[in-house]
Amino acid sequence: MMIPNRKEYLKALANSGQKIMGVLPALYPRELLWAFDIHAAEIWDPPGEILHANAHLQTTICPIVKRSLEFILKEPDIINAGYLFPHTCDSLQNLGTQVKDLIGVSLPVYTFYNPKGSFNNTTTRYYRDILQNFQLSMEAVYGPLAPDKFLAACVLSHKIDSHLMAIQQARMTDHLSLNNAEYFKLMRAQEYLLPTDYLSLLEQVDILDQPGESPRARMMVSGILPPTPEILEFLDELGVSIVADDLLAGSRRIPKFPMDAPVSPLDYLTDRFFILPPCSTRGGDLDERLHHLSKHMNASQAQGILFDIVKFCEPELFDHRLLVKTLRGKNYPVLTLETELENHISGQDKTRIEAFTELLFEMVSP
Amino acid sequence: MSIRAEIKYKIMKDYGAPALMALQDFKRRKPRPIPEAFGPPLDSNKRLKEILSRHYFLSRYARGVNKVAWVTSGAPVELLRAFDFYTIYPENHSALVGAKKQGADYCSIAEGSGFSQDLCSYARIDLGHMLSGKTPAGKLPKPDLLFCSNNICQTVLYWYKAIAHELNIPLIHFDAPFVTTEQTEADINYMAQQLQDMIPILERVSGRVFYLDVFENILKRSMETSRTWGAILDAMKAQPAPMTIFDAFGHLAPIVSLRGLPVAQDYYHILMEEVDTRVTQGIGAISDERYRLIWDNIAIWYKVRFLATFFAERKMNFVTATYTNAWAETTGYLNVKDPWNSMAKTYGQIILNNNLKHRLELMKKMIKTYSVDGMVMHSTRSCKPYSVGQFDLRKAITTDLDLPAVILDADIADERVWSEQQIHTRLEAFCETLEGSKHG
Ligand code: SF4
Ligand code: SF4
Repeated sequence: MMIPNRKEYLKALANSGQKIMGVLPALYPRELLWAFDIHAAEIWDPPGEILHANAHLQTTICPIVKRSLEFILKEPDIINAGYLFPHTCDSLQNLGTQVKDLIGVSLPVYTFYNPKGSFNNTTTRYYRDILQNFQLSMEAVYGPLAPDKFLAACVLSHKIDSHLMAIQQARMTDHLSLNNAEYFKLMRAQEYLLPTDYLSLLEQVDILDQPGESPRARMMVSGILPPTPEILEFLDELGVSIVADDLLAGSRRIPKFPMDAPVSPLDYLTDRFFILPPCSTRGGDLDERLHHLSKHMNASQAQGILFDIVKFCEPELFDHRLLVKTLRGKNYPVLTLETELENHISGQDKTRIEAFTELLFEMVSP
Repeated sequence: MSIRAEIKYKIMKDYGAPALMALQDFKRRKPRPIPEAFGPPLDSNKRLKEILSRHYFLSRYARGVNKVAWVTSGAPVELLRAFDFYTIYPENHSALVGAKKQGADYCSIAEGSGFSQDLCSYARIDLGHMLSGKTPAGKLPKPDLLFCSNNICQTVLYWYKAIAHELNIPLIHFDAPFVTTEQTEADINYMAQQLQDMIPILERVSGRVFYLDVFENILKRSMETSRTWGAILDAMKAQPAPMTIFDAFGHLAPIVSLRGLPVAQDYYHILMEEVDTRVTQGIGAISDERYRLIWDNIAIWYKVRFLATFFAERKMNFVTATYTNAWAETTGYLNVKDPWNSMAKTYGQIILNNNLKHRLELMKKMIKTYSVDGMVMHSTRSCKPYSVGQFDLRKAITTDLDLPAVILDADIADERVWSEQQIHTRLEAFCETLEGSKHG
């Protein structure tokens, strides 16, 4: 399975005249963008040194926000249709208005509010209104939305979700012959591939009829982004498989259960939003999140959990204490790493990962 | 409601609280000497202390008489008042802990129990209080209900969720969509509907019935109180200004935590009268006001006295602040005839829930109308919504208005973040520039 390189792929797309919008984390109606022939290229952790962003942001701001701003400040050619800031956390909320109203970029800046807290009918109605308003703001620039295109975009999204759900399920039950690094590379390819390309990629994924070889140990991972490729490779070396995830850039963006094929796009997108797994950034109920985590630990037979927390990420840090406390109470080994998205593993983290995996191995061996 | 609790509460209200006030009065008979750089202190300070002490004191006896709610500073508390909740403001309490330089102690308790040091210190102090029961206010009642709104930050939602889980009590959250350009009709409808959806829950928790006329009266009182607070702040346009913003940080407490109650309304009339008299008589808060400053962001509670003295000694007075203005800025939207929509507009558009273009324009306006010569920005480690964007705000203001400005890196209530040397160097450099710019 060949996954194109992010930078080269986007460059080629931009050169071909494709409209590309830079989208910040995490939840947004990608289907609406697709319906306007706009490709959503997500900006989570662009590589490179942070130089110019430091003049705009305090040292205590998370590296995702900093890296995103560094990327935006470079005004890269691959982004040609503007930037979209979904409402995810206080830092991204302010970054959106900072870029739009104070720093100023040559491309338009859009925002998208995601309701917070516990949801009810009032929230559902409002979310539908937000979608409609977003549609209107796109129409103001790109002309009327073609209903058939919108429906087709939702159908595509539905297919992608179905494949992702099947792949996740296969991962949990060892029916997938991908190691950690390959698996998360595949998951993250949706951040930049055209949906049709991504779907073709997913269609190529080989789901085994029979379970493959069991890993030496199984773990779940929770946080915003998957562990860095260096950590994933290290876990591969150790023989530990990440069999389930609770990641914002991962399963928290895939519906909890299969949905019927879309008929009315707005209804479909509204329903989809409300059946996403519980997430710190939406201010969801803690019990629900705990329940969700426990369920996936059980279903995947994970022996332990790794919390990979982005430094200064308030949404995750608040929930973290209770999640750790409760999971430890259930005798699950827990490891917490703090990441600044470095492209190496510190000696200390390496030692901690090794010690943690030893613990998991001991749990496996009789 | 238990009769025993009610009798106890009444006794404490009629006898206990006055006795406490008398004791405090006695203790204060030898007031601390006022440095020469300051003008005469406000007489209202005494009344303010009484009100706040009484509020915290009586809160100990409130349970069993009223249901207790812990509320965030930007939440539409008027609705809770209609059900007679006794309200406690954890942010206010955390500021009190910070002002007593005990913030680090409380934060350490929360950190020891697993909360990260990178979280807002108001939250950590409150969680430290919740986990240990410690408080400089003697004792605080446990809440029956939590009421928060993300119109100040999303942090409060995470923080209150943690308390709700720990104490197993209900949490009502008022979701206030961030205003990126202007509020949409959908935003207003959403917020207005949420408020109405809360009524049955509040009836259930409080055991009381909702009466629209009672609520409207509370709203009217709240409007009037906020307006008076706004007028008090306006009075600081006078030269010399009758108060410093450091005074206003203290006098802010009733508008934050007693909004909608007669005691707050009455208090601001007293303060207004005193401030007016000082303006008429030309009495300034500092003895020789030569420079006028604006403060941005929440106070550095453990350094208020230090900063007040530092600036007063240099004949510099803070005459306005984005922070104190927050409880007056959007009051104009309140309308008793259209309570739900008008509350949505009032609470949805407060400074921290509004875009930075709005903040920049507001600050420029304040700088002009208050005849400001320089700006001090507190970049606080705790607060992302207040701090992210400050570097560019400073740039825009210094460029457009040619105004000297300095950014102080510190924290609202965790004194461990304070770096004496760095702050001193920055402040001295700022004062030099300011003096040079006015004379140059
Ligand atoms: S890592 Fe956390 S703080 Fe940073 S952008 Fe994501 S949600 Fe916001
Ligand atoms: S200081 Fe900032 S982050 Fe903390 S509670 Fe207040 S508004 Fe929220």
